[in-house]
Amino acid sequence: MKLPDNKGHFGEYGGRYISETLMPAVIELEKFYKKIRNDKKFIKEFNYYLKNYVGRPSPLYLAKRLSETYKADIYLKREDLNHTGAHKINNTIGQALLAVKMGKRRIIAETGAGQHGVATATVCALFDLECEVFMGKKDVERQKQNVFRMELLGAKVNPVESGSQTLKDAMNEALRDWITNIKTTYYMIGTVAGPHPYPLIVRDFQSVIGKEVLKQLKKLPDIMIACIGGGSNAIGLFHPFFKYSQVKMYGVEAGGLGIQTGMHAASISGGIPGVLHGNKTYLLQDEFGRIADAHSIAAGLDYPGVGPEHSYFADEKRITFTSVTDDEAVEAFQMLCKLEGIIPALESSHAVAYLEKIKKEIKGKTVVINLSGRGDKDMHTISEYLSNE
Amino acid sequence: MNKMQKKIKENKIDKTFKRLKSENKTAFIPFISIGDPDMETSLEIAKTLIKNGADIIELGFPFSDPMADGKVIQRSYERALKNKISMEDAFNFIKRLKSFKDIPIIFFTYYNPVFILGEKFSEDASNAGIDGILVVDLPPEESYELTRYIKPKNIYQIYLLAPTTGKERMKQILSHANGFVYYVSVTGVTGARQSLPETIKSKVKEIKDISSIPVGVGFGISSKEQANDIGKSADAIIIGSKIIQFIEDNINDKKAIIQKIAEFSSDIKSGL
Repeated sequence: MKLPDNKGHFGEYGGRYISETLMPAVIELEKFYKKIRNDKKFIKEFNYYLKNYVGRPSPLYLAKRLSETYKADIYLKREDLNHTGAHKINNTIGQALLAVKMGKRRIIAETGAGQHGVATATVCALFDLECEVFMGKKDVERQKQNVFRMELLGAKVNPVESGSQTLKDAMNEALRDWITNIKTTYYMIGTVAGPHPYPLIVRDFQSVIGKEVLKQLKKLPDIMIACIGGGSNAIGLFHPFFKYSQVKMYGVEAGGLGIQTGMHAASISGGIPGVLHGNKTYLLQDEFGRIADAHSIAAGLDYPGVGPEHSYFADEKRITFTSVTDDEAVEAFQMLCKLEGIIPALESSHAVAYLEKIKKEIKGKTVVINLSGRGDKDMHTISEYLSNE
Repeated sequence: MNKMQKKIKENKIDKTFKRLKSENKTAFIPFISIGDPDMETSLEIAKTLIKNGADIIELGFPFSDPMADGKVIQRSYERALKNKISMEDAFNFIKRLKSFKDIPIIFFTYYNPVFILGEKFSEDASNAGIDGILVVDLPPEESYELTRYIKPKNIYQIYLLAPTTGKERMKQILSHANGFVYYVSVTGVTGARQSLPETIKSKVKEIKDISSIPVGVGFGISSKEQANDIGKSADAIIIGSKIIQFIEDNINDKKAIIQKIAEFSSDIKSGL
């Protein structure tokens, strides 16, 4: 089965749920991308920037002391070592090249923690594009450093004051801007969500992660683990491995204060299918179909939805979706600092934290964890958390 | 054949447009959110609009993430959401309004609240007396899963056309359209605008060259002059944000809300 199908569906998920004003632009984007997707020159250019600007391939590091602790071979895919500190730049390089080829000089993006915003601002500086980033007012306050980074890079950051003032509201506002400026503007979505073809585009650009792992490991791993917000780092790692049915995949969602408390961001573990931001997928929502506020200590996971391909693979049980709490993520964060000298992003710490939950299962096995970003941005959050303990 | 056709009751939207056409008049379709500022006042507002010239009424179901709406309707939804309105509440509202006067009702909503109810939505919507439904984030490409439920109930899905919609796509959408087609007059979100694009009239003509279906124009219309001008070529004028602004501006004076909306409404209608 082809995923997505010609209409952008992953089984019953995905699709295109947007207002008519946007439809022609999204169809144009799909046509353009289909043409360029397998174009050798385009791929060559993309790979050039990944190598020389991002610093790829990122190492696949056998984490020695972590492996000893869990009596397994645990590899970390070091996306934290990329330029700008996370996997997000893989996607923004690709989409910026696409926007330039389409003749769009104005870029808009939404951001939660600010990582996608920084990655977008970075490529806009690189390719001389105008850049506006929408960011929930609450996130602007808790991620001041990333706001400053974006501004240094020449982007305009628009704080969004509507709704819950977080990532979902930033996406609403970005969509409103796009509806208004559709003729001049390219919307650079940061994860494998949104109307078709975005989930496909972002998957293509992020799949470099898994493709490198295939080459670097020189064998198939037994288990792969990635954290899930929208799910772009997870799809990037998993996608090249879907065809190998012996590889077990875990998608770790943000359990926040615990699924039972309702204060979490685990759309698949704690949500039901619905329609938001252009696609059908698992969502956190109330009984009337209104979108619920998400909660996670990791701002990058703090979103009430997930990419539609994940929803499909959740139903198919190809990926096992599970969650860890804020507390468990912080514990894993500290463990990785002390055992490996690596300060991971709080998002990625969720993936590391899952090792503890499957410590029996992983004994003697080869495990790959996507270390999707570094934790420099989280110093303030962590110090606050630890001082409250 | 004729017997079969008789069995299906004529949709009230069609009836209304037929009548207005014979009178050489343009329909006035005001939009308000159900439950803004509270249930009883919004019912009073809806009745006021009917008493003062509304031919069809468009009722918005408040949503948490109104991506296609500007600030005025966003705030209207926020006020209404404080009252925790369920779909059942909305349907009861419509029943009460219909018992006041049976004019066509277009239910405006984002897709998720409809999607999670599935088939039940169309049953309850039909019982409430809804004549048309406009789902702003459900383009024709994805709408089969709703039309299969509402079509047997003789509820119309109202489709949108936008300034960005090209001719081929326009033809495609018009071939599915019934009741009337909603032409979005500006490239943007909802909200009153002082000036509207020059292209509206030529776009309406373009639509009319393809299809005989009535054309309603909305988004941005805020004055009698604009309504009057666009009404010369369009079959319906839709006004939302400007009416809702009266609620916001007089939030502590319900009498003033009703009075201002009554004046505005009859003034608009007098020019159509």
